[in-house]
Parts: sequence; structure tokens; C-alpha cells
Amino acid sequence: MAQLLGIFSFLVVLLRAAILCFQSITIGGILFFAIVARKQELRREELWKPGWKFIRWTACALALAQLLFVVANTIVLTNSAEVPLQEALGANYVFAGVLAILASITIAIYSSTAKPQRSPWIALIAAGFAIAASVMTSHSASRMENRAVMIALTTLHYLATASWIGGLPFLLLAMRRVTDTDAKAAITRNFSRQSQISVAVLLGAGIGMSYVYVGSWDAVYGTSYGVMVSTKVILFCCLLLLGAANYFIVRDMGVANPVAGKSLMRFAEAEIGIGLTVILAAAALTSQPPAADMTEDRVTLPEIAARFKPRMPRLSSPDVKELSESSNELYRQAAAAGRKLPASYVPGQTPWNTDKPADRAWSEYNHSWAGLIVLALGILAMLSRSSKFAWAKIWPLTFLGLAVFLFLRADPENWPLGPNGFWESFAVSDVLQHRAAVLLLVLFATFQWMVETGRLKSHAAALVFPGVCALGGVVLLTHTHAVTNIKEEMLAELSHTPLAICGIIAGWSRWLELRLPVENKSRKYLAWVWPVCFILVGLILLDYHES
Amino acid sequence: MIPRRRNLRLWAGLVVSLSVALLAGRLVEGHAVLKETSPAANSTVAGPDVAIQLKFNSRIDPSRSKLQLLLPDNTTAPLAVDKKASPDTLVSKATGLKPGAYKIQWQVLAPDGHITRGEIPFTVKGS
Repeated sequence: MAQLLGIFSFLVVLLRAAILCFQSITIGGILFFAIVARKQELRREELWKPGWKFIRWTACALALAQLLFVVANTIVLTNSAEVPLQEALGANYVFAGVLAILASITIAIYSSTAKPQRSPWIALIAAGFAIAASVMTSHSASRMENRAVMIALTTLHYLATASWIGGLPFLLLAMRRVTDTDAKAAITRNFSRQSQISVAVLLGAGIGMSYVYVGSWDAVYGTSYGVMVSTKVILFCCLLLLGAANYFIVRDMGVANPVAGKSLMRFAEAEIGIGLTVILAAAALTSQPPAADMTEDRVTLPEIAARFKPRMPRLSSPDVKELSESSNELYRQAAAAGRKLPASYVPGQTPWNTDKPADRAWSEYNHSWAGLIVLALGILAMLSRSSKFAWAKIWPLTFLGLAVFLFLRADPENWPLGPNGFWESFAVSDVLQHRAAVLLLVLFATFQWMVETGRLKSHAAALVFPGVCALGGVVLLTHTHAVTNIKEEMLAELSHTPLAICGIIAGWSRWLELRLPVENKSRKYLAWVWPVCFILVGLILLDYHES
Repeated sequence: MIPRRRNLRLWAGLVVSLSVALLAGRLVEGHAVLKETSPAANSTVAGPDVAIQLKFNSRIDPSRSKLQLLLPDNTTAPLAVDKKASPDTLVSKATGLKPGAYKIQWQVLAPDGHITRGEIPFTVKGS
């Protein structure tokens, strides 16, 4: 049952992320047609049809995600708490889920019959119900104090997110599909105004929610929730920078200018990417207890200073024999001896202690060498910007170093370090995953090397690298949350979160460098941003310590 | 220049990948966390009857929450939950406890749909 609950825990984050993404885009689209393109002359056929088709798809996806959430939750509830099905169906989350599903289906049906001559008021009302359902399953609904205020702030936060981030795909659609220059300019102007209001509302509601949920400055760096809120703030600032770039482009050059129009679309692409990342971070936040409620075992500033004080990287490894045996190995040995190991009641916990000093030293050594490799990658990538160092374009081959390292060090109980033979080790699922990752790294290194050295000329191929960087950042961001304020986990999270942010910034700066028109001067600066991010990642990894 | 159709496919792929990436995420707990308990964790109390009160940081759904006692012989006994308690508190009573080591095993459902569980070890002292 603990395992089922464990699987369910990450299913919840996955489904919550999907719900927030689809909800934002669906409602963002409805608000786009209700407010930004409210005038008849802006509801052009080439925008209206594909726009509502996209809304229909995201509304269906929202209904499906909500349905899966209700079903998964009910299965776990009826199995783990022996609650009869009829009783489980009366829970708040079921009511909220059904409400959201009905609202999404209404939107999907409406979208197939929407006419430019009519106001989309039915869709607007349904969107209101979808937001209400989402608020019913947010932190605000569970609060004992200031419940009404928190519900109001959460509603505003969701609405502003939808109106800004959720509206961006429709702005992009308008920029691509609308042929009339005046209509395009009016849509851009209207969206810019709506975005400015949304940003102000988002900021105001965000400050209010942080005041209650985070509560104090020491919770900002001392709790998992606080660190995630800080991450959201940093990414929000990146979004503001992109938004500002768009604003000045439109103001100075006008949308009719082809360079401005193209730049606007490229910045909007990055805005959508980072915006979705912020929404994913928000989904991870909904499954964290608010920082204000976690008053014990917070990490203090002196503890952070002691942990992150620059020290020599660990370049020598402890002996494999000194390491703790892995859980898999313990279960394997127990099964071979006919014993049964105790099961844990709480998901994610093990009934035995597997934390030895040698385990920490092993991990620090791994981080240090990975840091050296990434630092080399960053420096080579930076040198490759200059024509004097054209040979440095081989920088993707440093990923081969990571692959070799992962192959040798990831599974110490297996070949070549441990007692399990090469083929025998493939029977363990973790090892299989690591070996697959090694293979992917080798393929990626070769692929990116071909792109950098001009052996592969496709523009789409060049976009794989920034996509992988941004994706890696997202994985790290959603992967490193301390379950509670266990200090060691929090300190590890404090070092991994900047890595995630660097990955996201590196990915989107490289994306923009490749996608912006050559006339756009920003490309010159963006070309330096992502190598610097890699150098920072290398330095953070080199200074990684677990004690 | 990338053709529009391929461009859209790239975006769709990226969005799907971002979602799939979450599958790699480590386990995270729901947000109902214990603030106060009686008996306190690792405390020693007098038996044979022990009043149980678990106060959480947020509202919980007592009808769909569960309390059970892990007895010294590693078997479990269900505990009836008082459904009239405060919305953030689980209240129950264990009776007829003999001296020994016990664990209260709790599982709560929050209004947001999150299920959280945990254990509170305590000892009943001999008379």
C-alpha cells in the first residue's frame, strides 16, 4: 500500500501539472477571444477557427486529466482507508473534479459551434466554473485561517496566469495566421495591455499568498516551499524581461516591421516555454505543505553558509566495499535467504538506515567529476563563440565523458565495480535505466557534435539541444523537493534548484539565439548567456558537498 | 526556416516531454502535515486507556480518514474516529492497552484530494 501511495503521490503532481497547464491555455484562449479579439474586425476567420479548435483540444485534455485525478484518488482512497466507494464519491475532490469535467465538456461543445458574431459568454461562465473547481482543490480551500481571502487571491492568481501565459499561444497563432497588418497590430496592442494588467494582478496576488503561505524571510530559504516560491519569482522575472523585450519591439518598430514581427513570435515562444515551467513549478508547490506550517527543522543561514563555503572538490573516491548496500540488493539477499524485510507504512521511507559517510563521499566525488566535465563543456562552448577557437565546436563530445562516468559509477554493486556481472546487472530495473541514459548521452553527444560542426544542417535538429536543456531543468526542478524539512534534503535542494534554473535559462537563451532573426541584436548577447549558465552549473557541482 | 507544420509538431513534442518529465520526479507528499499530537511522538503514557488527538495544518476530511494502532505484537487494531471534532483534528480513544510499544498509524484526506499518512510511536508504561 505504501508503494501504491508513493506512485499515487507523483501521479498527483503529474495530473495537477497537466490540469494547471490545460486549464491556463483553455481559459487563456477564451479570454483572448472575449477581450483581446473582442471587436468583430479582429475575429478573423484565419484566427477564429484554429483558435477555437485548439481550445476544444485543451478543454478535452483538461476533462481527461481531471477524470484521471478523480479515478486515481478514489482507487487509492478505497484501497488504503477502506472507505466504501459510495462514501469516497462524496469527497470534496470528487465534487470539484466533476464540476471541472462538466465545465470542460461545455467549453469543448461550445468551441465547435462558436461564431464570431456571438459573444463567448457560455464559454466564459464555464471557464468560471473550471477555475472554481481548481480553487476548491488548492491550498486555500484547506486553510483554517483567512480562508475567504486566500480563496479570492488564488482565484485571481489562476485568472491572471490564464490571461497572460494561457493567452500567449493564441497571440502566437494570431501573429502567424492573421494577414491583415492593422488587425495584427490591434491584437498585439490589446494583448500587451491585458498582459500588463495580468502581471500586476499576478504579482499582487502572489505577494498576498506568499505573505500567508511563506510567512517569514527565514522560511524563504529554510523550507522546500519557500525555495520553490523563490524559483517561481526568478522565472517570473525572466518572463518579465521577455515581456519587456516584446513591449519595446512593438513600441519602437511596430508589428508591421518583418523583423519586429518575427522577433515578437520568437520571444513569445520562450515566454510560453518558461511560463509552462512556472506552472509546473506551481503544480509541485500544491503538493508541498505551506512553509508557514513547517516551523520545525528549517535550514538556517549559518547552516547554508557552512554547507556552501567553497571547499576543494572531492577528486578521490571511497572504496566500493565501504558503501551501504542498495535497497534492491537488501531485498535480493533477503529473498535468497528466505527472509522477509519489514515494509514501511509511510511512502518513500525505508525501515533501515542507508546513510554512511562513504555514501556521501561517493556522491560528492560523482558531483565533483560531473562538475569538471560540465565546466569544460561551458568553457569550450564559450570559446567556440570566437572564430579563433573553431576547434572548440567539439564541446558536445564532453557528454561522452559524462556517459563513461555514469556507466562506471552509477551502480556500484554492478559490473565493473561490484559483484554482479555485466549481463546479470541488466536484470535490475534501476541499472537498466542508467544504461539507457548512457546510451542516450552517447547518441546526444554525437548528434549535437554533428550539429555544431555543420555535419547536420537541419534547423530543427539544432533546437533539440535547447529543448533538452530546458527539459532537464524542469526535471530537476520537479524532482528535488524535500518531503518534509529534513535538513539534509533541503540543503541538497538548495544546491540543485540553481542548477535547474541555469538549465532552463541556458535552454531558452540558446533557443532564442537560434530562432531570432539575424537582424535582432539580442542574439549577440544571448549567445553568451547559455555557455555562462553551463560554467555556473559546473562550478555549483564542483562545490557540492553533503556534509 | 522550419515549415509551420513541423514547427507546431516541435512545440507539441516539447509540451508532452515536459509533462512526461514529471514522471521522473521523486515522491512528494500531500500537504496535510501534523502540527500537534497527543500522545506526543516517542512519549511514554499511562494506560490502559489513551486519548488520541492529532491536529493538522489544514482542514481534513474525517469521514474519509483513518486511524489504526500498531500493537506490540505487530498486528493492527482500527481506531474509531470522532467525526464531530474540529475540521483540522482527528480524535479517537484507544482502550485496554497493555504495557508496551505502540504506533498510531494515520492516514488523512485533505479537501484538495491529497492523501497523507504517517506514524506516531509511543509507549504505554506498566502500572
